[in-house]
Amino acid sequence: MKFIIDRFDGKKNYQQTYTLEKKDIEALTLLSVLLLIKQTQDVTLNFTASCRCAICGACGVRVNGHAYIACDSKMTELFEEYGETEAFHISPLANFKVISDLVVDWEPAMENLRKIKPALVAKSEFSAKEGCRQNQEEFDRIIKQWDCILCGCCASECNKLTADHSDYMEPFVFTHAWRAANDSRSKDPMIHAKPAVTNGLWNCVHCQECANRCPKHISSADDIAGLRALAMRKGLNSGVGPAHAKSFYTDLVEDSGRLNEIRLALRTEGVSTALRAGTAVTLMRAGKMNPLEVFGGHEIEGHKDLVKMVKAAQAANKE
Amino acid sequence: MQKEFAFFPGCVLTQAAIEAKMAIEAIAPILGITLKEIKGWSCCGASQAQDVDPLATLVANARNLALAEQMNLPMLTTCSTCLLMLTRAKTQLDNGQKERINTFLAEGKMNYKGTSEVTSLLWLLAQNAEEIKAKVKKPLSNLKVAVFYGCHSIRPQKDLNFESSVNPTSFETVVQALGAQVVPFEKRLDCCGFHAVYPAEKSVMKMTSGIVSSAAKSQADCVVTPCPLCQMQLDIYQDDAQSIAKSKARVPVLHLSQLVGLALGIDAKKLGLDYNVIDASKLA
Repeated sequence: MKFIIDRFDGKKNYQQTYTLEKKDIEALTLLSVLLLIKQTQDVTLNFTASCRCAICGACGVRVNGHAYIACDSKMTELFEEYGETEAFHISPLANFKVISDLVVDWEPAMENLRKIKPALVAKSEFSAKEGCRQNQEEFDRIIKQWDCILCGCCASECNKLTADHSDYMEPFVFTHAWRAANDSRSKDPMIHAKPAVTNGLWNCVHCQECANRCPKHISSADDIAGLRALAMRKGLNSGVGPAHAKSFYTDLVEDSGRLNEIRLALRTEGVSTALRAGTAVTLMRAGKMNPLEVFGGHEIEGHKDLVKMVKAAQAANKE
Repeated sequence: MQKEFAFFPGCVLTQAAIEAKMAIEAIAPILGITLKEIKGWSCCGASQAQDVDPLATLVANARNLALAEQMNLPMLTTCSTCLLMLTRAKTQLDNGQKERINTFLAEGKMNYKGTSEVTSLLWLLAQNAEEIKAKVKKPLSNLKVAVFYGCHSIRPQKDLNFESSVNPTSFETVVQALGAQVVPFEKRLDCCGFHAVYPAEKSVMKMTSGIVSSAAKSQADCVVTPCPLCQMQLDIYQDDAQSIAKSKARVPVLHLSQLVGLALGIDAKKLGLDYNVIDASKLA
């Protein structure tokens, strides 16, 4: 069984192959395999790990291009996932700067986390003496997001970060912004939501990698959606992102019940951009769209009932 | 193979990807599948409407699922985002939300029971690959295909609950059953960026270009995807994305249904190949 590991010595990148007997590793975790390699074959192999029980989040690595926490990944599960493979490719988390072998630099991600003010800014009714209490129901609302162990698996696989990290943050940062904004003890949710908006909230590409790779089954994608809804409710609704999301909702509830792609482009981009080079024109040129659709599609059968259902849900939600 | 389905085309098949609707309707009778379009289906929310109102989006999809139940048929869609939205709604409804949401559906005298399963064209074909293989009239043995799954065909795995998201095989199974060659393709599980093409245009164009160039590097004759939104992104925006990246590589992008149609010997016109923006006529 071969483990092809990406190495970096501070100057050059290279790959090194370590061979282990399958019978010797079948009962191990991936972290135990890395420790075995370090102890028996190569003391220079660098990686981070601490708790060995999926609490500290230090041992995130990639296997065959997908992020895992090594201590919580059984080799039996990896064999099952990748079939009868002869080799595993182990590499550092993507979308982080590599310091040495499998060790990555967390400082830029921590800097982003600071931007959304992850600590509690308590309501003025609380005091240092009395504390900041919340009931079980209030705690349960944010308990999932508190499970985040900052392992970086979501960030490693995020397609938006890979394309360009300059106008986006690690998905777990948005999860912590959601958690802080939805904490019943929080003074003002916008303390956390506003910096999320100004640091790329609307740039998520919906690839669902964050939700898929989180070892704690947290969906940062859902938290991003939650923050977007919160921001819009609080009046932070300018820009292309909110306009785009709103046009889907408008078509579903207020117009025909189905998406009108001509109007979607116009509503999102504005008339001048759309006519210049926008999607609607591209679609019309390709013969795929009828320009008359701009005047609206046919209302779907039963749409009035759908509107009644939605209004009932919205009324119940306000209660 | 299940023969009859409550068909959920999704908005994109009625407008920007009409060729995908032409193709699925052309292959269905040959495969012995009857697609009964759900009357009054609504937009699934397209992975966008939940940003405005998640409850309204859930209600709309509960209604969509209930409409399929009224037909006593499983639901089939070919759009991966519709698949994910409907599957997630079904999971939420079956795990505690049913009673509450039914109080809202009652406003339109409807009720969600949980009796109709949701499937996709890709999944159906993969589960019946041998049957598909037997119906191939024109094996695509000279065609080199880069298979592009699309995010919402595979992720999140816990919601879709069909196959491994890091090592999926359904698409390769189908393409091989059609006789085509699957080329190694680095970006096969990547994101095309479609859902953020407006707010994050620069990044999305880079992602689109990367996928097209990777397919060209693999010497693929075409990219094929089960998701009409990925097809739209990789096809309609390809010229722009490659111009920005200063790349001359251009690769036709087919819907899965179009590739199946070619293997079944269906005329290119009936498969809507004329509507593909990057010229796909040579593939017929």
